[in-house]
Amino acid sequence: MLTLIAKIGRLFLNFLATTGKLGVFTGMAIIEGLRPPYYPRQIARQLIDIGYYSLPVVGMTALFTGMVLALQSYTGFSRFSAESSIPNVVVLSITRELGPVLAGLMVAGRMGAAMAAEIGTMRVTEQIDALMTLSTNPFKYLIAPRMIAGLTMLPFLVLIADIIGVFGGYLVSTYKLGFNPINYLHQTWDFLEVIDVVSGLVKASAFGLCISTLGCYHGYYSRGGAQGVGTATTNAVVSASMLILILNYTLTAIFFS
Amino acid sequence: MMMNPQQIPSKILISNLKKSFGSKHVLRGLNLEVSKGESVVIIGGSGTGKSVLLKCILGLIKPDSGSIKIDGQELRGSSRKLIAQAMTKISMLFQSSALFDSLPVWENVAFLLLQRRQYKRQQAKEMAIQQLAAVGLNERVADLFPSEISGGMQRRVALARAVIHKPEIIFFDEPTAGLDPIFSSVINSLIVKCVKELGATAITITHDMVSARHVGDRIAMLHEGKIIWDGPAKGIEHSKNPYVDQFINGQSDGPIKIEV
Repeated sequence: MLTLIAKIGRLFLNFLATTGKLGVFTGMAIIEGLRPPYYPRQIARQLIDIGYYSLPVVGMTALFTGMVLALQSYTGFSRFSAESSIPNVVVLSITRELGPVLAGLMVAGRMGAAMAAEIGTMRVTEQIDALMTLSTNPFKYLIAPRMIAGLTMLPFLVLIADIIGVFGGYLVSTYKLGFNPINYLHQTWDFLEVIDVVSGLVKASAFGLCISTLGCYHGYYSRGGAQGVGTATTNAVVSASMLILILNYTLTAIFFS
Repeated sequence: MMMNPQQIPSKILISNLKKSFGSKHVLRGLNLEVSKGESVVIIGGSGTGKSVLLKCILGLIKPDSGSIKIDGQELRGSSRKLIAQAMTKISMLFQSSALFDSLPVWENVAFLLLQRRQYKRQQAKEMAIQQLAAVGLNERVADLFPSEISGGMQRRVALARAVIHKPEIIFFDEPTAGLDPIFSSVINSLIVKCVKELGATAITITHDMVSARHVGDRIAMLHEGKIIWDGPAKGIEHSKNPYVDQFINGQSDGPIKIEV
């Protein structure tokens, strides 16, 4: 019994310690990132890595999500002849929730893992120590560019995902379910409000920052060779995904209540 | 050796340096003095704190107590600016070479030049190629990535990176680890050449005795977190110190106990 309580206590203390460490890490990254010198090459590399190379994955996810949304809503809504609300359901679900969350999860898997693995390997092969001996601050050189890229590129990706997702719904509705194309687009456009898209983009920024921060944090503090890097990668993806889902609920509650 | 030891501060002066990791006391009051232009080799078994010592001087690890002075200037407790200034005098060759694998060889060598933005990229590249030639690597290597060249070549690239900005102090962390005897000898000669050309002060840590004799003017032996013997490299066979004798002859019996 006592050991159980001790275990719970230790778990709780560990949680607090990690939260504190993560807070200090994020603060350091922001402070160091704002002060010169800046590394435009590193920033450009990360912008391209996150923004451009994630496009296929995010695009495919959005396309099929939009398509399945239309199909699934049809089977449900046709039971009480509410088929006409399919365009509304598709556009709202995509812009408000599915676009940001799915793009966030995909990028967490793709880039969060890559960041943790790259920085973790640099840590265990002494490359981070080497950076410091070459008068280069790793927070400025490695971490700030990734955070900037996460913060700015995720909204961009989500905007693209919104468009492709709505297009996916449009494809299925017009070719398979027999909607009138012009009516479909009209209804989508009329129903959409600025807040729907903006809330999605704000969420995306938050998710992007959280993916980069956790990826870098787990990589930076990884220990003990290949196994340590593996653990760091897993932790980065799992923690980023969890945080995205929790943050998503919180932000939805703030925006739409 | 020096005319006025009182007036010229030692290049590196470490006194009573202590560092523990949890209950493991790695450095237990270490003292070491290195004068300008001298090449000191620190020998000692694995896990005796050789790397920790170098990392303490570089500021990568924070020591618990003691003093570290570079050119008479205390580093512990100094402002970040002063420490950063002192660090620009020091460079290090890492045991694993620690080349940046996302950058081609020449950008690795010219890394500091590019960071300081003193030179244009093309200029920096030419300087890097010159430096590569100085360590016996030809121009074709410059555009390859570190993963595409052998371990021995990586070590040379790392050496080129460590000396390109003409540092006053260079640390070598096991420079011959993992290399065959011939390559080790090449690296040792290069180290001696670079150090002599720059007039730099060098600290080398190693447990390769061939390398230690080749590179060092002076050898110091680290055991249980303290320097237990310190003397000219030439006289190490006649140290009369049982620890040193056991170490340089590689005997399993003696005062040094290996914990299993």
